[in-house]
Amino acid sequence: MARPVIEAPPTTPAGTWLEGEELARRAAARTRRKRLALLVAGWAAMLGIWQVAAYYLPFGTLPNPLEVSVEMWEIVASGALVSDFLASVLKTFAGFGVAVLIGAPVGYLMGRYGYWRAFFLDGVTVAGTIPALTYAVLSLIIFGLSNLGPVLAVALVSTPYVALNVAEGIRGVDQNLVKMSQAFGRSPQQIRREVFIPTIVPYLFAAVRMSFAVAWKVEALTEVFGGTNGVGFQIRTRYQLFDITGVIAWMALFIVFMLLIERLLLRKLEQRVLAWRPEERAAR
Amino acid sequence: MTDTLTRRRSTEEIARSRPAWQRRLTSDRAARLTFYVVAFLFWIALAGLFERIPGPPSVVDSLVEEFRRGEVFGNFADTFYRFGIGVALSVGVGILVGVVIGLSPMARAFLESPVLVGLSIPAIMWAFLTVMWFGFGHTSPIVTTFLTAVPFVILNVAQGVQGVSRDLRDMSSSYGVPLGRRVRELVLPAVAGYVVAGLRFAVIMGWNGVLLAEWFGGSGGAGYRARFWYDANQFAGFAAWVVLFVGVIIILDQLLLERLSRRMFRWRDATH
Repeated sequence: MARPVIEAPPTTPAGTWLEGEELARRAAARTRRKRLALLVAGWAAMLGIWQVAAYYLPFGTLPNPLEVSVEMWEIVASGALVSDFLASVLKTFAGFGVAVLIGAPVGYLMGRYGYWRAFFLDGVTVAGTIPALTYAVLSLIIFGLSNLGPVLAVALVSTPYVALNVAEGIRGVDQNLVKMSQAFGRSPQQIRREVFIPTIVPYLFAAVRMSFAVAWKVEALTEVFGGTNGVGFQIRTRYQLFDITGVIAWMALFIVFMLLIERLLLRKLEQRVLAWRPEERAAR
Repeated sequence: MTDTLTRRRSTEEIARSRPAWQRRLTSDRAARLTFYVVAFLFWIALAGLFERIPGPPSVVDSLVEEFRRGEVFGNFADTFYRFGIGVALSVGVGILVGVVIGLSPMARAFLESPVLVGLSIPAIMWAFLTVMWFGFGHTSPIVTTFLTAVPFVILNVAQGVQGVSRDLRDMSSSYGVPLGRRVRELVLPAVAGYVVAGLRFAVIMGWNGVLLAEWFGGSGGAGYRARFWYDANQFAGFAAWVVLFVGVIIILDQLLLERLSRRMFRWRDATH
């Protein structure tokens, strides 16, 4: 009288296990292919809608994608791109640097101490709600036609994001960890370095990515109002000539460029810095 | 042996041991008041430093003047009409698309790039384009508001939907709970806070959009009036309008949406 329940398995598992792995891999590849196809479909749908809109809108108000891409190619080929882009990007990052330098300490104070939270909260929330238009025009009024205008506008618009995110990060710190560290007699510096800073880094990155999207727009906006070089300046020049193809082409190039910076540079950096977090690893 | 250990005091005891004036000086209200005083002094200093920045007295003067001329209410009525329709549209569409993206990874793959592109197109672009398409009138600011605000609503709602407990989602899908019930009973309560966050973004972004469209559109409204003073090189008049439209957005955001948001996130923040 054998015991079939126990004797049956030995031969099967090895085979099914390998097969199962193979199946899973194939399923994963299929999902990936499907996702890629949908991604392409998304772009195709966008261009399709644009094409249709260009067809139906009155002549000259919306050029079709082909005309814009020809114009884009001409801008790239003419070499005007590099100098204007470089100017805009440098101004954005300069303003951004100022924002992090001011916003991170303010956010730290706000997250850590009740007094500073009460002190800065109104100012930061107000600064965060003010329309970008205001910042652009105010920077122009202050600095006139110069490169400092866009830098100031970017700094003004992104500082509250950075401060609020950092403060949120600090407040989200696991209080049990802090209490435990205190109970074991760690110094405030150690707590700051080992508990607070690692917790706020993801929030800082979120702030950077979030406000970057706003920052370069404000930069362009300020240049549209009164820049002497840069992408916004080019857009304004084209707008004044009623060259809507030129406006869209410059804007599209700028968007592509900024998305590249955001997706490749910032996201890669974020992944690298946050690689230690289990959540990040699981998400990938 | 025991007296080498200093007795640890509770935070309450520490707080009570401080003199009353010190406690009052470090209270929240005092901190806020200090901030306003510092900010006001900062403004005066800036006005003294840069002669192009109008100081408080001249701004108040132009504000009073503008009210006396009766320019304020008519222009704001126009702006609010356009802004209201634009934001309502963007919230409606944004919630719909956001829920779809959050629920299905495939929809996400399809819609991610359009949303990303929408996020990256500056309000100024929409203002330029819509003014050219629809001319001067209500349509251009409404469409600009809608288009600038909707990606932010989508993004927030999608994030909220994805944040819904994965275990609960898996469980309800393996037990075959119908989609309608899943949305109503699992997704909506968890997502309400994110919807309010999206609404706040929509309001802030849309406000900027509507002002920009009016600035370039030239058919009345707060943005148009601000431009009028800017073009006339009357920075005090411009600053008066800045005070007005910043005041309006702060009242809207802080008094209405902030409270709503706190209410919606109550379940989450109560644990801290």
